[in-house]
Amino acid sequence: MKGLGWKEAALVIGAAALVWLMLTSIGVVPSEAIAGLVRGSVGGPAAWRQTLREMTPLLIAGLAVAVALRAGLFNIGADGQLLVGAAAAAVVALAVPGPVGVVLACAAAAAAGGLWAFPAGWIKVARGGHEVISTIMLNNIAVFLTLWLVRGPIKDPSVQTWTTPSLPTGTGIPSLVEAGVFRLNWALPLAILAAVAFGVWLQRTVGGFELRAVGANLTAAKVAGVDVDRIRIRAMVASGALAGLAGAVLVLAFEKRFYSNFSPGYGFDALGVALLAGNSAWGLLPSAFLFAALSAGTTSVQILGVPKGLSTVLLGLIIIVFAVLRYREACRDG
Amino acid sequence: MTGVTVRFGSLTALENVDFEARPGHIHALVGENGAGKTTLMRVLFGSQRADSGEVTVDGAHVKSRRAAIGMVSQHYSVIPQLKNLQNLMVGAEPGAVLDRKRDRARAEGIARAMGFSFDWDAPSSSLSPAGAQKLEILKLLWRESQVMILDEPTAMLSPADSEELYTSLKRLAEEGRTAIVVTHRIREVLDHCERVTVLRGGKRVATLPVAETDEANLARLIIGHDLRERGSATAEPGPPILMIERLTVLGDRGHRAVDDASLVVRKGEVVGIAGVDGSGQRELFQALIGTRSATGSVRFGGIDWLNLTTAKRLASGLRLVPEDRHAEAVIEDWSLFENAALGLHRDPPFAHGHWIDTQGRARQAGVIADAFKTRYGSLAQPMKSLSGGNQQRFVAGRGLTTQPKLIAAFQPTRGLDIDGSAKIYQAIRHECRQGAVALVVGFDLDELLVECDRVVAMCQGRIFEAPGGLERDRDAIGRLMVGVG
Repeated sequence: MKGLGWKEAALVIGAAALVWLMLTSIGVVPSEAIAGLVRGSVGGPAAWRQTLREMTPLLIAGLAVAVALRAGLFNIGADGQLLVGAAAAAVVALAVPGPVGVVLACAAAAAAGGLWAFPAGWIKVARGGHEVISTIMLNNIAVFLTLWLVRGPIKDPSVQTWTTPSLPTGTGIPSLVEAGVFRLNWALPLAILAAVAFGVWLQRTVGGFELRAVGANLTAAKVAGVDVDRIRIRAMVASGALAGLAGAVLVLAFEKRFYSNFSPGYGFDALGVALLAGNSAWGLLPSAFLFAALSAGTTSVQILGVPKGLSTVLLGLIIIVFAVLRYREACRDG
Repeated sequence: MTGVTVRFGSLTALENVDFEARPGHIHALVGENGAGKTTLMRVLFGSQRADSGEVTVDGAHVKSRRAAIGMVSQHYSVIPQLKNLQNLMVGAEPGAVLDRKRDRARAEGIARAMGFSFDWDAPSSSLSPAGAQKLEILKLLWRESQVMILDEPTAMLSPADSEELYTSLKRLAEEGRTAIVVTHRIREVLDHCERVTVLRGGKRVATLPVAETDEANLARLIIGHDLRERGSATAEPGPPILMIERLTVLGDRGHRAVDDASLVVRKGEVVGIAGVDGSGQRELFQALIGTRSATGSVRFGGIDWLNLTTAKRLASGLRLVPEDRHAEAVIEDWSLFENAALGLHRDPPFAHGHWIDTQGRARQAGVIADAFKTRYGSLAQPMKSLSGGNQQRFVAGRGLTTQPKLIAAFQPTRGLDIDGSAKIYQAIRHECRQGAVALVVGFDLDELLVECDRVVAMCQGRIFEAPGGLERDRDAIGRLMVGVG
């Protein structure tokens, strides 16, 4: 990184001042809050467990958004695709227990997510409808569809709350490390592997070359003989399938069931993850980690008396600062 | 206007040009593409700064010219989302608060004086090209412009609409206004204008009353006399290999941009396509590439060309030097390595099965860059760090060093110096002597006549060939270009 210009410096100082002001205004000592943030995200095995847990769906959903983004498509619908994926995974895993059920549940989640994204890709290609609009619409449909399912057809009749029954033990993604309070299962290493594989695919294969060409310059891609319509639909479906998988991982690795208001907005945070990662698939790893650490950290800061809304503001400010620093170079070039 | 000079970097667009138009006249400004017509009019209008020279209107130096001078550019500025009345006023609203009744009455008055009628509340997206053109003229009247500049006003109009347009211009001239019409069409100049100024290569060649000239004379003035020496001998043409028959391609506005055009190219030939910009060359090329659908038939080496995907056409040896380098030929953020592969990225040496062959690609990128001496620091640097001329060298290198069979080159020497241009044409001819064929679109007739084996003309979507014995006759082809048989 080059030295900071005065504008960037002013932004960082301004953001810090804003945070300081907000914290003191509600009677929290800023230094304590910052220390709490760090402690809650990377200060000890329990904090690490929480951060890596958050990182798992964020990385997979971030990868989902990145796949579409590289083809020039903005998939705002990751949250909806994640929801239908999670619901599908819960239904299948409840019907077919054991490792086979886990595999089938992942397949079902990918299929559901892909299916949920397909209309957006098709509308874009066939009618020129903007994918941002169609995916937002599909988000709403997904929210209410899954809500209806969990209130009726797939509800656990034995409890009052809107939830499916819990998965039987042995039906889930197995643990990789269990040391004291620290837990890590196979989902995160697999997700990291997927992000790395995507990076290699983008740079080293003909398919990746064509996907990037479509995203970088549609007309030039057409002139170069790339079937841009097919690639855009495929990218959208692949993006949806990955978001669906993120939902499956949440069900199979962590929550062990599906319930109402299942996603706290992973699909939207995933947009931030993918954008902050910029043009690099590798960038998804630090980007997802940052989002996860802040999310875990702000949860613990709430214990100090910082209200949830304010911790979200804090998260937003930090991301804005990172984003400005991240895109500084790109703006200077352009 | 006296002594107007405009430079763009090292290029001199206008050199010491004098221009005067009188009230009550329709004054025509003619010249080839790049002659400086539009630049001169922009200087007059005030949207282009002159490096030197003076502009006076009614004897006074004008600073805020926009009040007195109005310009309708080639691309209409009607905003389709607005209503006709809103479009009429936009930018020149009578006050902060709009009085619909008063504005409508004034609009009606202006339109009626011109013999036009408009549905003021209809959305402007429903206007025909002729309607949009009329609305543009009314916009100038709304602003009470005394001098009206119309850049290629009839380019999108049917002959009948063109007639009507000139009738209204005549009426405005009779009221004491000045109309300046930039046009390619000599016929219109002779039929409707009082005086004509000819620009060539940024210099004024002549200003004369239309009554004292004729078609042949004007065509000669526009194109000039100096014919350059030809680089090499005409090829011995082989059997016909590219057959374009009754090709029709619809343009963006749904008009027949290529209209029933036919052309036969023999193996080994370099065929130049002359014509003023917008005569259908763009759409013809898009149809050959496969990015625009077309009816009729194109056969290349016996293959039904129009049924192939663009990818198959490229695999069959189609090589391009596209018209719009930024939009069509390169991806500016990408490295030279990756841009070298664009279009040929599926096959060796750029790929090996599904995998990109980075070594083969690097080798070929070097060959491409060296073909026409592209100046670069490293092949890993992004395309956008190269100057336009160097990008053009690279794009031409990509098309001509990768076993072309059918070369489609749109202004392949754009932005290049004489030496660079000559090398590119040499390479095109070299490939054609090996059995390829080339179609070259150019706007410089001299260059095409010197460098190509044969030159045909495109005018209003049709391809015209000069009669036997006159295939390389500049006057004959020049007349075909402007639609004068």
